[in-house]
Amino acid sequence: MFEIGKKGAPEKGPEASGWTETRPESASSQKSGPREKAVIGPSIHIDGDLRGEEDLLIEGEVSGTVQLRSNSLTIGAQGKVRADVYANSIYVEGLMEGDLYGTERVHIRKSAQVRGNVTSPRVSLEDGAKFKGSIEMDPQAVQTATANRSIGNARPAAAAKPAVPGKPEATPALKTGI
Amino acid sequence: MVADLRPLGKAQAEGPEALNAPLFHSLIKRLEGGGRWIVLDLGAARSDTIRTFGRFRCRLDIVDLAEAVGALRDVTDPRLLRQLVDALLPRRGPEATDVVLCWDLINYLSAPALTAVMESIAVRCKSGALAHGLVYYSTRTMPQQPGSFVPLDDQRLINKGASGPERPAPRYSPEELARCMPRYTVERGRLLRNGMQEFLFRL
Repeated sequence: MFEIGKKGAPEKGPEASGWTETRPESASSQKSGPREKAVIGPSIHIDGDLRGEEDLLIEGEVSGTVQLRSNSLTIGAQGKVRADVYANSIYVEGLMEGDLYGTERVHIRKSAQVRGNVTSPRVSLEDGAKFKGSIEMDPQAVQTATANRSIGNARPAAAAKPAVPGKPEATPALKTGI
Repeated sequence: MVADLRPLGKAQAEGPEALNAPLFHSLIKRLEGGGRWIVLDLGAARSDTIRTFGRFRCRLDIVDLAEAVGALRDVTDPRLLRQLVDALLPRRGPEATDVVLCWDLINYLSAPALTAVMESIAVRCKSGALAHGLVYYSTRTMPQQPGSFVPLDDQRLINKGASGPERPAPRYSPEELARCMPRYTVERGRLLRNGMQEFLFRL
């Protein structure tokens, strides 16, 4: 399992951890403020459970789960994420297959291709974005779903998740580690 | 839920004509009555649609069926059509659909494809679910591809995608629609000033 910026965790260099920390210069990465964020570069592929306590920009490929409970995640224009994603704020510019849980907001930009379900109190989508799935806009349902996510790591009950057209019936078991 | 909005730009405001859509308005009024609603949008994801339905306790299921219109047009076998359509629609979950937004998609489906689509949708809907659609009726042609109808406000729709070459419209009559959609009844129909007929179907 990858852990990014976890408090008390031993420092890891970029070579060991598989990501780099930088001040991103892309338009997408500037929208969440001037602070540094971790970047998973275009050549990086991660298959597993990715957790962290700092903002993250994904320009590479990630499969599994991504959990940044108090931070923002940006899936950059080159990013390909096939995972369920939990974060405070989520910005999508690239390819995303999986469910998105944003405790504060989810923003889907026009370059994005998303197949999955979105649960967040604030959802916005730019015209031109490709989206297939469900957008939960009922505040009560959003609160329940996001609260469930903050209590534990259990995936939401399959029966409560709307099915995505064309998405495989069985969700593959999550992998831990790489 | 708060949907972020961008005001219509000048070009958009001066572009396609907004349509008064009284039956769409009546649908919105029902949603304003409260409760939770499951809305199935057969069109592409659009910010204006998300904004409109984001005011309500809604789950918006977006299918973007327009992408598959070409593939459905080439198939005539009803069983194969049904299989294709079932694969395109979300599986029926614990919450059945209350409202279906067909927009102008009906015009781009052959009669067998229309039957397959609406039958597949029916099994995912609650009894009494409503389907809203726009049918080219008095006009003989229509855009080559399905449009991008979106709510301009609670009473008006606008087609942001219509331009370019046109093709003959099937001009489905209410009787033909009844034959193609036997499980639905026309709750109300209105002729709009652009030659389209607006329908509210009830399951």
